[in-house]
Amino acid sequence: MKLSSINYLVGKGISSVWKNKMMSFASFCIMLVSLLMVGISVLASININKIISGIEGKNEVIVIVKDGTSDEAITALESSIKEIKNVDTVSFYSREEAWKSMIDDMSKEEKELFQYAEGDNPLPDTYKVSVKDIEKMADTTNRMSTLEGVESVKASNEFADVLISIRNIFSVIALAVIVALIIVCLVIISNTTRTSVFARRKEINIMKYVGATNKFIKIPFQIEGTIVGLIAAVAAFVLTMFVYRGAANLIQDNYQILTILGVDSLYSFRDIIIPVGIAYLVAGAVIGAIGTTISTSKYVKV
Amino acid sequence: MVEFNDVSVTYSSGVDALNHVTLKINDGDFAFVVGSSGAGKSTLIKLILKEIDATEGTVTVNGFNLKKLKRRKIPNLRRTLGIVFQDFRLIPTMTVYENVAFVLRVIDAPKKYIRSRVPYVISLVGLAHKAKAYPEELSGGEQQRVALARALVNDPQLIIADEPTGNIDPALSYEIVELLKGINECGTTILMVTHEHDIVRHFGGRIININAGSIAFDETIGGANEAE
Repeated sequence: MKLSSINYLVGKGISSVWKNKMMSFASFCIMLVSLLMVGISVLASININKIISGIEGKNEVIVIVKDGTSDEAITALESSIKEIKNVDTVSFYSREEAWKSMIDDMSKEEKELFQYAEGDNPLPDTYKVSVKDIEKMADTTNRMSTLEGVESVKASNEFADVLISIRNIFSVIALAVIVALIIVCLVIISNTTRTSVFARRKEINIMKYVGATNKFIKIPFQIEGTIVGLIAAVAAFVLTMFVYRGAANLIQDNYQILTILGVDSLYSFRDIIIPVGIAYLVAGAVIGAIGTTISTSKYVKV
Repeated sequence: MVEFNDVSVTYSSGVDALNHVTLKINDGDFAFVVGSSGAGKSTLIKLILKEIDATEGTVTVNGFNLKKLKRRKIPNLRRTLGIVFQDFRLIPTMTVYENVAFVLRVIDAPKKYIRSRVPYVISLVGLAHKAKAYPEELSGGEQQRVALARALVNDPQLIIADEPTGNIDPALSYEIVELLKGINECGTTILMVTHEHDIVRHFGGRIININAGSIAFDETIGGANEAE
């Protein structure tokens, strides 16, 4: 196809958006709602995942060091723990710190009772270890318990299992909802554009009689669909930005529990502005083009 | 050139639309196809455009064997044809110029050629002053002349005119056929389907009469205008 023909077809597609403004507006509204539904579902999903990850991060493993282990051996043990692939952070908690912390938490009477017992501190040195992948928790604790100088390893495997189940169930539900929404959107959009194409079926018919190829007939419709999709994407992006910022502020102001759970904040819109913008534009353009391709195919067959 | 060789068409409903039709229209011919409703005239046109396929026999149009022609090659066949319909079928959102130029754009013609060819063809049908008008601003006769210009613009080997005078005033009908005759004199083959016997008698020429799916009459007669 010559450059002049491509220019002509692109021009036709652009001018059709305006010429068929009522249909374009209907497609725009449907696409806007569809993109918003999918976009907000995806954003909710990634934020809930972040919350679950935050809770997982709080699920620490306590490695109890054998009584009487030398300082060198304790340092060596830290290196050995860090060498385990799934280990994220390791922090040492000495028996003295543990004793002080315990005394601090006591009532005045209890403190008086225990202040003379410091020389007989029964608490062990420990390492607090956080893991990268909670699903490998059992394997990681087993490996740590075999290390030199380790008395025992305390980890809440049951809690980890619950978290894994919650995350897996949530992931499946989120994926199913998003896929279902995308399918529903494609069906609605292709039906809306079908109405637009049906209104111009005579035009398509004439094009076929004068020897236009399927590609030549479809391209302006696809460009029209893509343009409407892109405009809807920009509108959806702006709306999402306001809704997201408002919702994130509301949640963080009213639900301090998020901080307790280990999530300092939800994703700020600034952090995700580029991927969200690109995702909306790509989704708008692709859905617009695919929707019109599906709907024109019926009328274009020579 | 159009050649039908023992062609039959039976629709899925069981109706036999054409029965063993053998017909040849040579390059440069002007032929009227006449017949009552349901005689098979439309089926004949649909076969030439490859809208439908023959149940039996072979159809050859401008060197294309339609039995062997693949779907994706149909546009190539149609680019050798010019088609004029009873209901004009102009694109309402395009001006006269755009409607005519559209055919050349479809075949990827150079811009320069489009700019010189389209005004020339529009002036041939006498509508140079209406090039910027939209179809709804034109009379029936004028719209049909635009349709003629559109059929003519890519210099087709064959023009099929399907009841081109059916929707216009009788006086203007003669003008349209005169235009077709003029085009034919320049070498283009014309196949005109009509049920207006007055026009056929007036102009004369080759008359193909289809009756109940068969060719009842295929002769050349002298026209009344020749006698005048």
